[in-house]
Amino acid sequence: MKGYLSPPVEVRKLARLIGADAEDLAYFERLEGQTIRDLRDQVTVVMFDADRQLLQRVATATKLIPAKLAAVIGERAFGALLCARITGLLDPSRAVDIANHLPVTFLSDLSLHLDPRRASRVIGEMPPAKVAAIAAELADSEEYIAMGGFVGHLSKAALLAALDAVDDESLLRTAYVIEAKQNIAALVALLPEERLDDIIATASSADLWIEALDVLDHVTERQRGVLGDLAAAQDDEVLDSMVRAALSDGLWSEVLPVVRAMSPESRKRFATLKSIQARRVLKTIIEAAAEDSLWAELLVLLPLLPTTARRQVAALATAFDRGTFEEIMSSAHEEELWPALIAFAAELDKGPRREIAKLIDQSDADVLESLLSAVHDDSREADLVAVLRELSATGQRRLGTRIAAAPTEQLDALTEAAEAAALEPLRKALTK
Amino acid sequence: MSDAARRILKPELGGVVPGGLESLTEDELSEFAAMLRAAKLGQSEQLEAAVDEALEIVPRILRRPVRKILFG
Repeated sequence: MKGYLSPPVEVRKLARLIGADAEDLAYFERLEGQTIRDLRDQVTVVMFDADRQLLQRVATATKLIPAKLAAVIGERAFGALLCARITGLLDPSRAVDIANHLPVTFLSDLSLHLDPRRASRVIGEMPPAKVAAIAAELADSEEYIAMGGFVGHLSKAALLAALDAVDDESLLRTAYVIEAKQNIAALVALLPEERLDDIIATASSADLWIEALDVLDHVTERQRGVLGDLAAAQDDEVLDSMVRAALSDGLWSEVLPVVRAMSPESRKRFATLKSIQARRVLKTIIEAAAEDSLWAELLVLLPLLPTTARRQVAALATAFDRGTFEEIMSSAHEEELWPALIAFAAELDKGPRREIAKLIDQSDADVLESLLSAVHDDSREADLVAVLRELSATGQRRLGTRIAAAPTEQLDALTEAAEAAALEPLRKALTK
Repeated sequence: MSDAARRILKPELGGVVPGGLESLTEDELSEFAAMLRAAKLGQSEQLEAAVDEALEIVPRILRRPVRKILFG
């Protein structure tokens, strides 16, 4: 979902800009979200430039009259939309002065039409209490798109006040449509752990996992881990609802990175959840891993799955082609996950096990070296030998000769495992 | 970018038409162009009316300088 802009959300923003109903622009939903965003940017330019001269003159004339009177004129004569167009042309402190004389309902209406990028300095100078009141009003009217547009322009104090003023559900819905996704991490950093805990519970109770997982997709790796641990500490029902959402809405590509970022204890709790043991669930997890190359995410989960589930995954892996195994091995190498891969490979059926054995036989020297070292550190020699058993006698001899150059302790342990498994060609090559 | 998108939207978008609009039909592009035109026109009319109304509210003593700024 990274960098993904939802077409329906972008259509709603575009419709608002030109005062149209989103339904009338439904045909735009066929386009990429980014295309609609680019179009909206250009429409913003022309809408703001259409009357720029007169708007600029109005902004200049505003300097001649007291702020209180400017507020009255703004509300009575110009209305929210035109005031929004003028806001960015005013001196920020003057704009804040005027805003202080305007009712919150009018300001929230104005904020629906504001282009935050053009009024960034004004937004940044708005008093926290006023921002909180506007945020509450916008949340009440479910104007999440407008709220999302202001994050990244508000001062930290104003942002904190706004966060306090809105409920968890509004916060999740706002985060989902936030304009500047890169600000989500900073936003999450402002929230205390108890609030994050509540938000996760809300994602479950209000069925907002799409929104919550989108947030998790845009936070830092450390935050993802903290949030993942908080989720894992919730009741089974919360995690089960996440699994259901991942299954029905195709969200495993968002869930798997969260599971990987969790602490080992949390990951174990997730892996042993009853709801992920079903074959169709495991199948969608594997499909997502294949689709988005999330093999490392899958490999950290595999050893923690109960035996029956691991067997199901092994059975599903029989459908993998050589290219897929190459990708998995490359992930295991790059992410230092050899023990997980070798343990899993040892449980595979003969066919896929042979593919992995062949890939090990053909691997580069540095790959083989890191594999052997990781296998030794994790005492996985027996598993490795179980995989290499699938090589022909010639293959075993060839690989054994290459391995014979490994450090003595690795070589001894592997020779012992080959002997225990009665893998003579390999054993002989190792002891040559 | 499709020729249709460029031809139909260029006048309404200040000469700048972003790419990626190829899948829109000519009818859809024309409908959107008309909506844009109406939105710009509506905004201009609303602004002019608002300026007139504002001048009624501005105290008599300030009207002259305000009018001067607005209309030169």
